[in-house]
Amino acid sequence: MLTRDELERYERQIMIKGLGEAGQEKLKRAKVFIAGAGGLGSPVSMYLVAAGVGTIRIVDHDRVESSNLNRQVLHWDEDIGKRKADSALEKLRKLNPRVEIEAIAETITEANVAQLVAGFDLIVDAMDNLPTRYLLNKAAVERNTPLFHGAVYGFEGRAMTIIPGKTACLECVYRGRITPKEKFPVIGVTPAVIGCIQSTEVIKYIVGIGELLTNRLLIYDGLNLKFTEFKVKKDPNCEHCSRLASKE
Amino acid sequence: MSIKIDVSLLSHQYTKGQQVVEVNGSTVGQCLDHLVKQFPSIAPCLFDKDGKLHSDIDIYANGKSTYPEELAKLVKDGDELHITFLIGGG
Repeated sequence: MLTRDELERYERQIMIKGLGEAGQEKLKRAKVFIAGAGGLGSPVSMYLVAAGVGTIRIVDHDRVESSNLNRQVLHWDEDIGKRKADSALEKLRKLNPRVEIEAIAETITEANVAQLVAGFDLIVDAMDNLPTRYLLNKAAVERNTPLFHGAVYGFEGRAMTIIPGKTACLECVYRGRITPKEKFPVIGVTPAVIGCIQSTEVIKYIVGIGELLTNRLLIYDGLNLKFTEFKVKKDPNCEHCSRLASKE
Repeated sequence: MSIKIDVSLLSHQYTKGQQVVEVNGSTVGQCLDHLVKQFPSIAPCLFDKDGKLHSDIDIYANGKSTYPEELAKLVKDGDELHITFLIGGG
């Protein structure tokens, strides 16, 4: 049940056909796990908190550095040296105190990933490296939890939504490949675009409206301002998801 | 055979802003060779010293992945190829 304050706060999105008060209640009941409070995690968490997702857990082990601030808009100059989890918690609570927010300053590992995502309905991949993305993918597949993938480099980004057992997973498409662990170039607007696409997908999934970005890899080319979609499909020999029978 | 390769993601570095390059070839590999002939500086970006396609590259033909055939994948007149790169930043 939405309170009078919530009805007022979320009025403009409740007006959307197909969302309504019922959709807003679904958002309020939803529990979303966000892996990363950096370039992607900033817009993802801010827009989900602003939209009234009821419970958010955000995990990041890093501390804020000056070179983060061109894109990680959750963190400001005054936060340099602070743990990103603490900085994120402070801003997100101010943005919308109605949302239950938990921020954890831990590294996501094979040993703790299952425990970290336990009890959450959706997982957002806002990481900055592929090995951790694969850990999240495996955990999502094992728990049958939808995963919302995003990645950026320079002016380029990509996004894909994964519904375990139904659609291609990250391992199906990337096949365990990794990129060199190095400082990558990025302009802040790129994770802003991709993070907002991930948030859009999360909201659509929770509310149950629209067409999800499943079995499609979306590539954003900011320099030429182009979005291109590629068809992807479940790999019957996928190391992560082939054990799940296709429900399509 | 005329094939179009979308090189948008490389266009500002290697193809003087040209986003689509017309090439000839019967396989993806031949098409990429023809691309390299037109823009030689693109070669190290696509292939290693042994001429093998870099592992972080995915080639899509008409919107579908060419894996696992990749360079050996047959193409036909009018096909459209896209070159993409695995990225992991966030």
